[in-house]
Amino acid sequence: MANALESYIDHTVSVITNDGRQIVGTLKGFDQTINLILDESHERVYSNTQGVEQVVLGLYIIRGDNIAVVGEVDEDTDTALDLSNIKAEPLNPVVH
Amino acid sequence: MLPLSLLRTAQNHPMLVELKNGETYNGHLVACDNWMNINLREVICTSRDGDRFWRMPECYIRGSTIKYLRIPDEVIDMVKEEVVAKSRGRGGGGGRGRGRGGGGRGGAFGRGGRGGKGDNRRPNRGGGPMRS
Repeated sequence: MANALESYIDHTVSVITNDGRQIVGTLKGFDQTINLILDESHERVYSNTQGVEQVVLGLYIIRGDNIAVVGEVDEDTDTALDLSNIKAEPLNPVVH
Repeated sequence: MLPLSLLRTAQNHPMLVELKNGETYNGHLVACDNWMNINLREVICTSRDGDRFWRMPECYIRGSTIKYLRIPDEVIDMVKEEVVAKSRGRGGGGGRGRGRGGGGRGGAFGRGGRGGKGDNRRPNRGGGPMRS
């Protein structure tokens, strides 16, 4: 299990944080508490009324406490997405 | 690369820290520790809604309250340099290793599963006397 994230290193990953944000970036590192290093990251902001807005974030360290999901992104599928035509309800924060 | 190594490398660089309560702190990183507790200088604190600001000369943030840190892009390249410099230091410099080598630690390496490393170091140690 501990190696699960190892295979994502230097790959594009999508992170859903506890406050309901989605951050996409290149995974450069992690530790035992799932703190992550994301390089060239951006946030995808979803809205019901307009397409997905991408906000450039750059180099991020996300604290593990705040991470709900980490997933590997298939870059071919991802680049084929027409984000400007995707409308979706924003996620709610995690409720503890 | 470990997140905390990157953070350590980011010392003396500007950064943005968002806390779990939504407040953000902009400042220069002075120091950090293994719990991600951080010490910032020349800080601008922004309220959760982003419409109130406070300036403070310094602040200390408990690591467990942090949501994320935004760090200048170039810092990630400096971590790599640091790692390379360290490994070079161990192999070539050897000075420090030799100093300790005579003591109990050298023995510990030999006994442990790291015998391979110990063996690599011995030739270095041998090289020492020739220089001096």
